[in-house]
Amino acid sequence: MKDLIISRRHFIKNVAMIAASISALPAVNVIAGVLTDVSRMDDLERAVFAKMLKISLPTGDSTLVDPASLPVLPTIEGALLAGMAPNIRQGLRGGISYFNEGSLKAFGDRFINLNDADAIRFVDQWSASSAPPERALSMGIKKLTVLAYWAIPNTWGPLGYDGPVSDKWNLSSLGNTPEPTI
Amino acid sequence: MSTDNNKLNIKTAQDIQNPKLTIDADVVVIGSGAGGAINAYELAKQGKKVVVLEAGPYVPSSEFKEMLAMAMGTLYQDEGGQSNTHGDVTVLQGACVGGSTVVNAALCFRTPDYFLNLWRDEHGLGNLTPERMSGYFDKIEKNLSIEPNARHETSIGADLILKGLNKLNIEPGIAKRNIRDCAMTGFCFSGCKTDRKQSMLVTYLPWACNHGAEIYADTRVTRIVTKNGQAAGVEAEVVDPKTKVVKTQVTVNAPIVVLAAGPVQSPIILQRSGIANSSGQVGKNFACHPSMSVTAMFEEKVDDFHGATHSLYVDTHTLPDEGGYILLNAVQEPVEASFQAEPGTGKNYVAYMEKYRNSIRLITLIHDKNVGEVRYTDGVKEILYEVDDHDFDAMKEGLKFNAKILFASGAKYLYLPTSDRTVINSVVEIDDVIDSLKNEPARYRYTSFHPQGTCRMGADPKTSVVNPYGETHDVKKLYISDASLLPTSIGYNPSETVYALSSYIADEIIKANFS
Repeated sequence: MKDLIISRRHFIKNVAMIAASISALPAVNVIAGVLTDVSRMDDLERAVFAKMLKISLPTGDSTLVDPASLPVLPTIEGALLAGMAPNIRQGLRGGISYFNEGSLKAFGDRFINLNDADAIRFVDQWSASSAPPERALSMGIKKLTVLAYWAIPNTWGPLGYDGPVSDKWNLSSLGNTPEPTI
Repeated sequence: MSTDNNKLNIKTAQDIQNPKLTIDADVVVIGSGAGGAINAYELAKQGKKVVVLEAGPYVPSSEFKEMLAMAMGTLYQDEGGQSNTHGDVTVLQGACVGGSTVVNAALCFRTPDYFLNLWRDEHGLGNLTPERMSGYFDKIEKNLSIEPNARHETSIGADLILKGLNKLNIEPGIAKRNIRDCAMTGFCFSGCKTDRKQSMLVTYLPWACNHGAEIYADTRVTRIVTKNGQAAGVEAEVVDPKTKVVKTQVTVNAPIVVLAAGPVQSPIILQRSGIANSSGQVGKNFACHPSMSVTAMFEEKVDDFHGATHSLYVDTHTLPDEGGYILLNAVQEPVEASFQAEPGTGKNYVAYMEKYRNSIRLITLIHDKNVGEVRYTDGVKEILYEVDDHDFDAMKEGLKFNAKILFASGAKYLYLPTSDRTVINSVVEIDDVIDSLKNEPARYRYTSFHPQGTCRMGADPKTSVVNPYGETHDVKKLYISDASLLPTSIGYNPSETVYALSSYIADEIIKANFS
């Protein structure tokens, strides 16, 4: 029993660390590394991100671009996971699995199998949870997903956001500043 | 050797083919940000052979994308993913040639006399008097074109906030920035594509190269080498930025080492080297100025996309006795807006983002206690940091002040950056909503641009890592010159403090070694 408690403590600590790693990853790496078998999404991760994307951005009645028409999952995988340190990447798998199982108790099924309304309720419940790992995982997986969507410039049009401007405005470079003479 | 090429003399992983490289130099500088670049220039100008090793890549400004998500991947530490172990404080630092000066908002403040006096009284830094430091601030402000914003250097959001400040009779602060002829793109955090921001990339680094300095990018220092209690050089690795494979083992033999890798990496390098820690303070006393963005929604479109990234601040409550918080405006692109507020999942989120054009933000940043620690254990970096309860109270007061200003500016409702939906619908709700916030890990979306502490400066070798002149107490001729020196956090953006302190330390190195 003692071992189990210790092991659970370790697990919770690890979950917190995993949650930490994903909740703070806003990068889309243009020099992303090679996708190895270790960094590639497995089927479960793909299903969790796909479900999160579907429930986070139900664009049907809105002006926003349908996420299904954009390479959001490849953006998560190729631009983000590929550059992740192996230990963080390995931990992330555990965190996503923990999140997926998290809905079993209250909703009777895994996150990826919930209907959209229940999946939304589950995510919002975990975001308000009294347990820090649950808050962190819910916030982190959602952040990662929506960020990959908004990082794609095609999504900006409906927002009226015009993106990069230096070239458009024909701004010239001032170059390196001359060295002070005194 | 001196030239007026005014260009970077730089080698990257692509340029280096041999598995081993040995370099002899007078000075090796670790890091090319504010502390490293200023020391590299000042010491190279003395005719010394200076080698600068930068772990991050070299990205010429012409390749900056003006997209934050992409900038994070190329210019930031851990691709923007550096955080505390709870994951609720994103600790942003530049990790490229030029360091954080490439991606900061260029906002400059002189170190308040309050802190210089505190450091004198509590840390024995009687050498850093306001009078003494004044000359260094003057020099830096001249070299980096640090000037108050011109009247037109503002943004739509800042103008709205200014109206709110005027309505409430709150005195606004007009930002000073190290920028020449700002083009008002609003992309400071993604790097200045047209070289208006006076980062180290376009100032001190090319100036250092005019005097023969050599810069190696993609080159990560693994150990500082010492002999008989004195610095002797460093060992490093050239890492391919794409594959992360080590290409070359580098040895730099140099009798003077300047460590300027930043408040997270500098203590890690010392810990990996097993040196300079008789005080037990290496990595301790981490502070980071945690900040929260309050998102204000307006009835009409405001389009706060471009302009001066920061132009307005409110520092009426910034010193610890006054409250310990500062407010800063900032423009915001969709990627940031997409996770700075939590409107709820699904349609609520879609509705929030559809109104992105109607939003502005005002940041509350606190002066925090040095309660954190940077550790390197079994090859893994950890930033152990929880917002202190007293500091969280300051944050709450700062959020209330922030919210009142945003409503006075015309906002209809506000989102707080919490893990779950927290909305303030009117002025009368402010106190109730914010008073109900509890200081809990993973509850808030903090951002830190200002890690500090971790190798603090002080007169007492038992309680500090570095002496008042920048040299470590334990290892002679090993100097540290970055924000890790700050004995306390200062509540204001620390860049000008680091610029001035680095100039001072360069002078001390020259005086002690080359005079």
